[in-house]
Amino acid sequence: MLDSVREIETPEGISLRLRAVGPLPRAQAWMIDTVIRLVLLMLGMAPLSLLGTGGRGVAMLLMFALLWAYWVICELWLDGQSLGKRALGLRVVNLDGTPVTWLPSVTRNLLRVVDALPGVYGVGLASTLVDPCARRLGDIVAGTMVVYAKELPIGHQVPAAPAQPLPVPLAPEEQAALVDFAERADRLTPQRQEELANLLEPLTGCRDTAAVRRLLGYANSLLGRP
Amino acid sequence: MAMHAQEWDHLQLWLGELDRQPKRGMRREQALDFPAAYRRVCHHLALARGRGYSHEVTERLQLLVQRGHRVLYRPPPPRWHRAASFLVADFPRLVRAQWRCMALAAALFYVPALLLLAWLQIHPELAHTLFSSARLAEFERMYDPANPHLGRSSGTNLQMFGFYVFNNVSIAFRTFASGLLFGVGAIYVLGANGILIGGVAGHLTAIGYGGPFWRFVVTHSAFELSALVIAGGAGLQLGLTLLAPGRRRRGPALVEAGWIGAKLALGAFAMLVVAACIEAYWSSQAALPDALRFGTAALAWLLVLGWLGFGGRAGQHGA
Repeated sequence: MLDSVREIETPEGISLRLRAVGPLPRAQAWMIDTVIRLVLLMLGMAPLSLLGTGGRGVAMLLMFALLWAYWVICELWLDGQSLGKRALGLRVVNLDGTPVTWLPSVTRNLLRVVDALPGVYGVGLASTLVDPCARRLGDIVAGTMVVYAKELPIGHQVPAAPAQPLPVPLAPEEQAALVDFAERADRLTPQRQEELANLLEPLTGCRDTAAVRRLLGYANSLLGRP
Repeated sequence: MAMHAQEWDHLQLWLGELDRQPKRGMRREQALDFPAAYRRVCHHLALARGRGYSHEVTERLQLLVQRGHRVLYRPPPPRWHRAASFLVADFPRLVRAQWRCMALAAALFYVPALLLLAWLQIHPELAHTLFSSARLAEFERMYDPANPHLGRSSGTNLQMFGFYVFNNVSIAFRTFASGLLFGVGAIYVLGANGILIGGVAGHLTAIGYGGPFWRFVVTHSAFELSALVIAGGAGLQLGLTLLAPGRRRRGPALVEAGWIGAKLALGAFAMLVVAACIEAYWSSQAALPDALRFGTAALAWLLVLGWLGFGGRAGQHGA
């Protein structure tokens, strides 16, 4: 398992996987949100400026809503996703994996002020880099975290190869290790792939390129591919 | 597996429909059956894990369970009468529960303000070291006895209302949030505002513009200054919890303090909206007779202090 995954046991006695989001996608989502808010502000300002000085007061109220209320309204109505987060497939959840509720949402967005402090989100960046769940200070105090909304099915990066049945039944952890190896194989040099595959000679019964191919075959059969 | 595949397909279809059209999906008969179906799938997943079934099966069930979990444990829809009961009873109770921090915040704000107010009566020239002459001129123009509107040099009621909401609520929210920096931010904002307000009041009183100034601020300050003190107190309790969580672990203690602080900040927000209404539409009317103005002001102060001091007390016995 990658260390950015947080496993949570539910009342039903099974575990959920929450994949924490690092600072870069969150910064991108924030940029999208900022552009959207600026566009909304300009769209609102145009008719309001025709109303004269009273319009300026309404424009202030609009600015207030975009600065403070935008995040909370989005997160509550769109199931934990501001528009930028929705575009990037991120979601705010409570630490127990349930959808974010209003009090944590208000807390994390009020404390945005502290995260944004020196320059542009300096404290938030430091906090997301240090925290194992990549939470900013507001998330830590509110008891929330930002996760990927879409679940990646395990093994979707395993290269397709003709499946080969395992010669002996393996324990779940051993099966997972095989699938993980197949998933990351094409990011390793061929020499390293062969070196790792040679360790399993008792299982595969062959060496070097043949062993790598056989392990890929096992992984494909574990994933239920033909 | 073949036995249950159909049930899983049904559930998956329904969850997909729920993502696209939440209202229609919930009206379907399947919605009634959902909790039981979800628990069955959880059972299947545990069984599949335990018996070491293939990745194909466990992954499919895992995805189904993750989506189901989000639907089953989604937050209940907001109930609006809760907002009313929060304002009437829960918020004053919360303020009283945090009375130590509130008292500290009030002291941090009022002590420098009152000291400066008194000091400026004895040494009026000190005002020029506190403020630049351009700002002093601005204050003097706002509270010039010849000005038809009290407390502003230009602008209509609506414009000033928007400005007051934006400005004051932003200050209150920042005061609360900056309390997370070990309380330093909240202490700074409270002290700085105390000095600013005390300085302005002292200077204007010393130069003889006190009449318009006190007439302007006396009513809405009941809500405005109390809200600032409450926001500052909320920030202080957050910072103090970070420094000294007591007999709890720091993480859970912080989460609890954060939620309390957010509730207090929301209450302060409501108070500041009321203050902005009064400030823009009532305080600025120069034509009001003094008896009416000071009578309303006394009523406002009594209302705020009574609400914060006694709001929600009767409910403790009733419930």
